[in-house]
Amino acid sequence: MNKKKTSLLALPYGLWMAGFIAIPLFMVFCYGLTDRSGTFTLANVLAIATPEHRKALVLSLLLSAVSTFLCLLIAFPLALILRGRRIGRGSFILFVFILPMWMNFLLRTMAWQTLLEKNGVINALLGILGLPALSIINTPAAIVLGMVYNFLPFMVLPVYNTLAKIDDNVINAARDLGAGPFQTLIRILLPLSVPGIISGITMVFIPALTTFVISNLLGGSKILLIGNVIEQEFTRGSNWNLGAGLSMVLMIFILISMTFVAKYDKNGEGTAL
Amino acid sequence: MKTIQSRLKRFFEDFYLVFTLIFLYAPIAVMMVLSFNSSKSRSQWGGFTFEWYRHMFESAAIMDALYNTLLIAFLSALIATVLGTVAAIGVNGMKKLPQTLFMGLNNIPMLNSDIVTGISLMLMFIAFGISLGFKTILLAHITFNVPYVMLSVLPKLKQTSRYAYEAAMDLGAGPVQAFFKVVFPDILPGVISGFLMAFTMSLDDFIITHFTRGAGINTLSTLIYSEVRRGIKPSMYALSTVIFTTVLALLLITNFAPAKAPKEDRREGRQTSFGTAFRRTAMIGAAFLVCIGVGYTSFRHFASTHSDELFVYNWGEYIDESVIAQFEEETGIHVTYDLFDTNEEMYPVIEAGAIQYDAVCPSDYMIQRMAENELLAELNYDNIPNAANIGEEYFTRSEEFDPGNLYAVPYCWGTVGILYNSRRLEELGISPPTGWADLWDPRYRGEILMQDSVRDAFMVALKRLGYSMNSTDEAELREARDLLLAQKPLVQAYVVDQVRDKMLNGEAAVGVIYSGELLYLQEEAEALGLDYELTYVIPTEGTNIWIDSWVIPYNARNKENAEKWINFLCRPDIAKKNFEYITYATPNAAAFALLAPAYRENTQVFPDVSSLVNSEVYRYLGTEADDLYGALWKEIKAQ
Repeated sequence: MNKKKTSLLALPYGLWMAGFIAIPLFMVFCYGLTDRSGTFTLANVLAIATPEHRKALVLSLLLSAVSTFLCLLIAFPLALILRGRRIGRGSFILFVFILPMWMNFLLRTMAWQTLLEKNGVINALLGILGLPALSIINTPAAIVLGMVYNFLPFMVLPVYNTLAKIDDNVINAARDLGAGPFQTLIRILLPLSVPGIISGITMVFIPALTTFVISNLLGGSKILLIGNVIEQEFTRGSNWNLGAGLSMVLMIFILISMTFVAKYDKNGEGTAL
Repeated sequence: MKTIQSRLKRFFEDFYLVFTLIFLYAPIAVMMVLSFNSSKSRSQWGGFTFEWYRHMFESAAIMDALYNTLLIAFLSALIATVLGTVAAIGVNGMKKLPQTLFMGLNNIPMLNSDIVTGISLMLMFIAFGISLGFKTILLAHITFNVPYVMLSVLPKLKQTSRYAYEAAMDLGAGPVQAFFKVVFPDILPGVISGFLMAFTMSLDDFIITHFTRGAGINTLSTLIYSEVRRGIKPSMYALSTVIFTTVLALLLITNFAPAKAPKEDRREGRQTSFGTAFRRTAMIGAAFLVCIGVGYTSFRHFASTHSDELFVYNWGEYIDESVIAQFEEETGIHVTYDLFDTNEEMYPVIEAGAIQYDAVCPSDYMIQRMAENELLAELNYDNIPNAANIGEEYFTRSEEFDPGNLYAVPYCWGTVGILYNSRRLEELGISPPTGWADLWDPRYRGEILMQDSVRDAFMVALKRLGYSMNSTDEAELREARDLLLAQKPLVQAYVVDQVRDKMLNGEAAVGVIYSGELLYLQEEAEALGLDYELTYVIPTEGTNIWIDSWVIPYNARNKENAEKWINFLCRPDIAKKNFEYITYATPNAAAFALLAPAYRENTQVFPDVSSLVNSEVYRYLGTEADDLYGALWKEIKAQ
């Protein structure tokens, strides 16, 4: 192939990215680094240090880290089982894990309210069984549950993809050489699925870090996450400069994630179907 | 030994799968059940009905949103697939460094938070004077879809052998021919998965659409969000159920009906099984949805020919839809009807002038703000003779935010008060609340629902302290903040719309609520046969009297039509019909006289305005005070 000529094919999308990714980002920087009257200031970015913003950020980081960890904990065994189920009906089972994403995200999350409330479905069931009631609605636990629920497919997909690509012969070889199931898991399957895991972690962590809908619906708006702060500055508070400044702080975490992905998932194989 | 062990393993695996499936599908099951619930409540079962399915197909708003959602998902996925595939081929031929840079930029929309992506695109569209609407949503969706396509196609490209391509060239094929005959079939699975991934992401997106949509256009997500304020109509659940069962049925048919394909090589099979399953089933689903979309487009295309127009911008669920139809029929004016969720969301839309509305229905303080910023046109009362039906006392109240009644004709009004659950109070051993001060009674721990809005929350505290709810005095506001902070441990949740469902479900003992919700709640409580009463009190310290009124923006293109619209809504029979649907108190004296006695005697919904001496109307306080309120509210929320 003529490399130079083929590279030119990337040009249209290159221009698109300049127009719809680079310029918008630049706009955020413009707003974030000025005040309402348009003069340069760092105040909007430094505002992250005020106690309420810092608290919201720390809480967001904590909740999204917990959710990401739980997603991984649920998704990895799931992906392993799915890998073992092979073809045919296995493909059906797999699709079943994507199907919920076709139902609206807001409706799904609101349905959790009905499930979790004090007089909700789960407590009604627990009551029938004579078990004590669960009261996690409007707590951080409910937010974590909402995050895990909504973002689990983003973890299952890449982890499954990398696991499915591992050659059976590699596993058999490990077994032949005397590795037990546990050792195979730790020394073969886990290391080989690192690209998928890393990609899954970022694809869960970032949306969880920035969500505002889940915390509103399941947290009873008593818990302020950094996503809520930004959303309110743009929609209710009307201080777009502050909102943009805080978004710039969030981008730092996104940059960190990107370097991780670039390091461990070079070919984007984790996210490919 | 082996069998027991493997059976045990199999059992645990099945158990795990089923458990995860229950977790994933429990909320969907809830939605499906609610779609047959004759009560609108999210938490109470009122009996079985198919009513919502009928309503869903009849509702133009839902069908429009479905159509927009599908069209945007389809177009954005298609364009993104072409753009992304071509780019992937280009990137594949690049040297290491430019490739890394290119892919780095490409990854930004995928890794960047949706809220930042949405906002940054919105800022750019506004800066370049691109009016928000269908095309901006489409552009935004393409932007966040391409990365998914690239990530599906690139690995496939890397797997294709260069030699096959070169061999084709040696055998006399041109570069284009060689590409389509040799390379393309190899990467096709990646291209199709990319398309479907893009379609799915577009379908599920809410946040980016929320920020890049203009008024006048809704997708399912944004429509649902705008309904949240007055409660999701079960028609939405009905729609979800229809989509879900259709896709699932098609999935089952394709999986189990045809003869099994010859057994593939096991390893190979597993590698692609996921992709194949996803592709096959999603493709069918997509085809089904697109068919609906195309059918509906043609229907809509033929249905919409009109010359005389009116653009209306109103709160969600704030009109009886048949009133719009009746207006169109009587006047021959075609109405484009748009929804907003908050005054604050509506304001920049009007200010930017990107969409020129003719009639808008903001609240009191926002009307003052719009008038101060010269965003409103003076009304010509000669064209609105029916305005005489509005009670004089409401025009007097309106003077507080609209001196001289130049701009606004009252539409709905009400108070803010405390709703309590009589049985729950008995259980707690507390006598019914009479004033705001009761919301600081420690026995209410975890039993209070507060309004999740800065002004409403501060109004409660300021009134309790005996100050004006329009205070801009920093010391007074700090005092109010401390009071709200002290109250926070007692608060179960800060809610806007959910207060209705939560009170109906007996989740809390007391809730701060808008009087407009009362009739709905009381009728619903009766219909459901609840064993507790929900009673409303207007606190003794005084409260907020709110008035939502119709105004005409300065840049309206059809001002006379807007006046016809306002005049129409002031007609007694129309105002009555509207009241019976939205159940917010009407200021229309002539319509009030037509109401059933049960309504007229309901002093909770229709209190005597002149008796509400301590109560005030919200005024716009200016940017500085807004910032102060916002900052103090954040301190409360972050605690």
